[in-house]
Amino acid sequence: MLALLFKNFIRSKGTKIGLLFLLIICFISLLIGLQFQQKQQNNIKEAAIYQKEHIARNAAFHKDEIGLLLYYIKFSLVNKTLPINSLAIGQRDVNPSIQSVTIRGLEAQKYDAELNNPNNLLSGNMDFSFVLIYLFPLLIIAFSYNLVSEEKESGTWKIVATQSQNTFLYILKLFYIRILSLIALLTIVLFAAALLLNIPLNSLLFTFYGLGILYILFWFAISFFIVSLQKNSNFNAVILLTIWLFLIIILPATINTYIVNKYPIPEALELTVKQRNAYHEKWDMDKKITMDTFYQHYPQFAHYPLPNTEFSWLWYYAMQQAGDDDSAQQSHELENKLKQRNQASQLIAQFIPTLHTQIKLNEIAQSDLENQLLFLQETKLFHEKMRLYFYPKIFDNADVSKENWSKFKVQTFNDPSKINFVKAFLPLLILNLLLIGFGWRNFNSRNNLNSKFF
Amino acid sequence: MKSLHTEVLIAGHLKNSVFKNTAVFIITLFIGIVLLYAAFSGWENYTNQNETSEKYQHESREDWLKNPDKNPHRMAHYGNFAFRKSTPLSIFEFGMEPFFGNAIFLEAHKQNTANFSEAGFSNSLLRFGEISIAMVLQILLPLLIFFLGFNAVAAESENGTLKLLLSQGISWKQLLRGKILGIVSVIMLLFVPTIIVLVFIWLLLQNFSISADETIKMFLFILFHFIYLIFFCVIAVLVSTTSKTSKKALISLIGIWLVFTIILPRTTQAIGAYMYEAPSKIQFQSDIEKDILKQGDSHNPNDLHYKAIKDSLLSVHKVDSVQKLPFNYSGFIMSEGEKISSKIYNQHLETLLHVYEKQNSFSKMISLINPYIAIKNLSMGLSNTDYDSYIDFQKQAEAYRYTMAQKMNALQVKYISNKKPGPNDKPSTINKEHWADVAEFHYEPKGIWDVLKSEIISVISITLWIIMLFIVIRIAAKNLKAI
Repeated sequence: MLALLFKNFIRSKGTKIGLLFLLIICFISLLIGLQFQQKQQNNIKEAAIYQKEHIARNAAFHKDEIGLLLYYIKFSLVNKTLPINSLAIGQRDVNPSIQSVTIRGLEAQKYDAELNNPNNLLSGNMDFSFVLIYLFPLLIIAFSYNLVSEEKESGTWKIVATQSQNTFLYILKLFYIRILSLIALLTIVLFAAALLLNIPLNSLLFTFYGLGILYILFWFAISFFIVSLQKNSNFNAVILLTIWLFLIIILPATINTYIVNKYPIPEALELTVKQRNAYHEKWDMDKKITMDTFYQHYPQFAHYPLPNTEFSWLWYYAMQQAGDDDSAQQSHELENKLKQRNQASQLIAQFIPTLHTQIKLNEIAQSDLENQLLFLQETKLFHEKMRLYFYPKIFDNADVSKENWSKFKVQTFNDPSKINFVKAFLPLLILNLLLIGFGWRNFNSRNNLNSKFF
Repeated sequence: MKSLHTEVLIAGHLKNSVFKNTAVFIITLFIGIVLLYAAFSGWENYTNQNETSEKYQHESREDWLKNPDKNPHRMAHYGNFAFRKSTPLSIFEFGMEPFFGNAIFLEAHKQNTANFSEAGFSNSLLRFGEISIAMVLQILLPLLIFFLGFNAVAAESENGTLKLLLSQGISWKQLLRGKILGIVSVIMLLFVPTIIVLVFIWLLLQNFSISADETIKMFLFILFHFIYLIFFCVIAVLVSTTSKTSKKALISLIGIWLVFTIILPRTTQAIGAYMYEAPSKIQFQSDIEKDILKQGDSHNPNDLHYKAIKDSLLSVHKVDSVQKLPFNYSGFIMSEGEKISSKIYNQHLETLLHVYEKQNSFSKMISLINPYIAIKNLSMGLSNTDYDSYIDFQKQAEAYRYTMAQKMNALQVKYISNKKPGPNDKPSTINKEHWADVAEFHYEPKGIWDVLKSEIISVISITLWIIMLFIVIRIAAKNLKAI
């Protein structure tokens, strides 16, 4: 029986075209992921070469003044891109994965944007997560909107109802075949992805796979519930597409607008304006004020007295430091706002499967806002480390040639976050069970009615 | 006159049957609510964004003017900001706005990126799209039209009433026109109030003092959306007529909607981006640095380019050291450096923008066959939230930056003593009144003419679609037979 149903399903022209179309788009998305991965890797290579040449060149020009040299040279920190990132590019296209900073004020450098074609950002990446979240449901809807209803409309349902003892079991089998074929598709694509994109077969990939399966099941559960209402095919198609529209476009967009308006970020502009003034005003102030705050921040450098000249690098870097220190409050507020946004979106997303899946896939691929915030924090630590290393050398006006400049290689940040399985799987699992439960109840209560009519 | 009467009758009949259907009523009501929410949040977003950017534009200007006497080069590093302001129409069409950086810091020697885009501050929610009036008009209403129209003719054919109608002397042409009119009249119940609210909000925002340019833009915004919605009414009726059953009509229409609004826009852009790979920031910047070094490094005392300038200056003024020149030498060199570096930067930027344009060319061409992309591009252009507007903003900011830096260099050349101050001398300064010589940055959005020029393909596309649909209705009316 099952084999027969499967043959019937797979022989249909619509099924073949649908599956083939989805498979092709899946592979296109993998190619796009591959291109993104190669671009990221090239950037990292480029950054390493660039940093080496850049430091060497500047160290040769400014060999007499280490203070001036450090005015120029930039050190890069890379936000490690996992291979699985190619499946869910997330925020990695907007936010740069490499930060290059000088030891001058950080706040003026931290938020530098990546170069982008805004058209690409607007239309969005066609990565695999897009195909999974947007297009899989469409095929699921196309496969299941007319189950039962079509047979009723063409009059064959009576035959089914009389021939099989348990019509509910028959319906389950119809769904079973369709679920299996789409999960098979997902498995094939992810397996191909692992080979093509060098994704290690680790718990990250399996979590991704697990989420993918639960998400596919979620859409089948919705279809199952709608089919259980036993309306006509047209009604099913309209209502399923409306649900899709709701979950994919309207609800996420509404929530986004809500979050943007609830947590506006004027702090960003305030920070840039404040940071500029905080540094520049020191040029026209009594040097002692700047130096006192600097010594207070770094008592370990208090033994470096201010030289008796109009300009000194000690004073210069103390002024740069003041730019960061005086705008620390704004910087902190901006960070808090971003955290609030992130928390709010995660909280709401738990109740909206499409959002939840997208956010979790991005979390697995380390391309979410959380990763970006951690990277910014790490950039701050990295910057501070470089500062503390070079400050005494600058204040002593150490010999440029004595420093081994080739040891300053590009550094890498590894996001240590772990995925919480319960948080990732539970929302989808609960929703699936609820929908299936309600659908099952509908079928059971109506099936009895139907048998009376037929 | 008599024939038109028939069409109005058919239209009225369709309208009545639509409103008997509670599901349609609920969906229509719901879209009305979404429209209201979109208008409200667009308003809030617009005022937030513009208040903030105006506040800081003003504040940073005050700060600039408040600077005491100092060396002009320090002012060139103090710099200015370009904050992006939205135009009134962007309340209805956000376009690419969330992906644009909102602030560029403008200083000497350095072209900074436009930072703090909404997208960078979002947790990928934004990627699902945004609720705006334009989104409702361009995406949701067409789908509603399809839901209303899929059984316009197909259901009559299924019920057998089609034959009745035709046998009563109603022509196919009248039937099609009547059905289209019916759907249009239902949609207008949503569209007209929306437009009235839009115009009111739009007037309110500008305190009822509107420019001719903005008025034409608003008018075209309404006109193009009107035409766009009519398309979908026509398509719905045509598909409903040519499909054997209403189910087939519905599935075909849903397919058309998905391809037009969801699948084509993303895939064409993705293909464009895949075919023409754009360099990343680090590559872009290191390429520029390499080229500047090739031209000459003003920081390198032995650089050939700058040595040649020095030698020619010395021989023209017949002196033996730069300190004896009648003007400030380092100001002169910086002005030369600024000229070279910004020329190289602009060349690289042009190359980069050329890559972006090639990436966009796919979806631009597809707008010829996809009215959704055409209307999207047009409405983004009109509301100043399209790609060209953003590039325009960046270019205006860069032009301002260059003028500012060169102005400061000129002041240095003219007023700062050429004698290098000793280690204990006070630095040479100029009077603070010069700061006001640099005008405030003012962003001027593109005029309607430029908008139409840059979105010409979309205008052509919409015109072609009108012509084609007229022809198709004609052909259909002649060739159709009742089954």
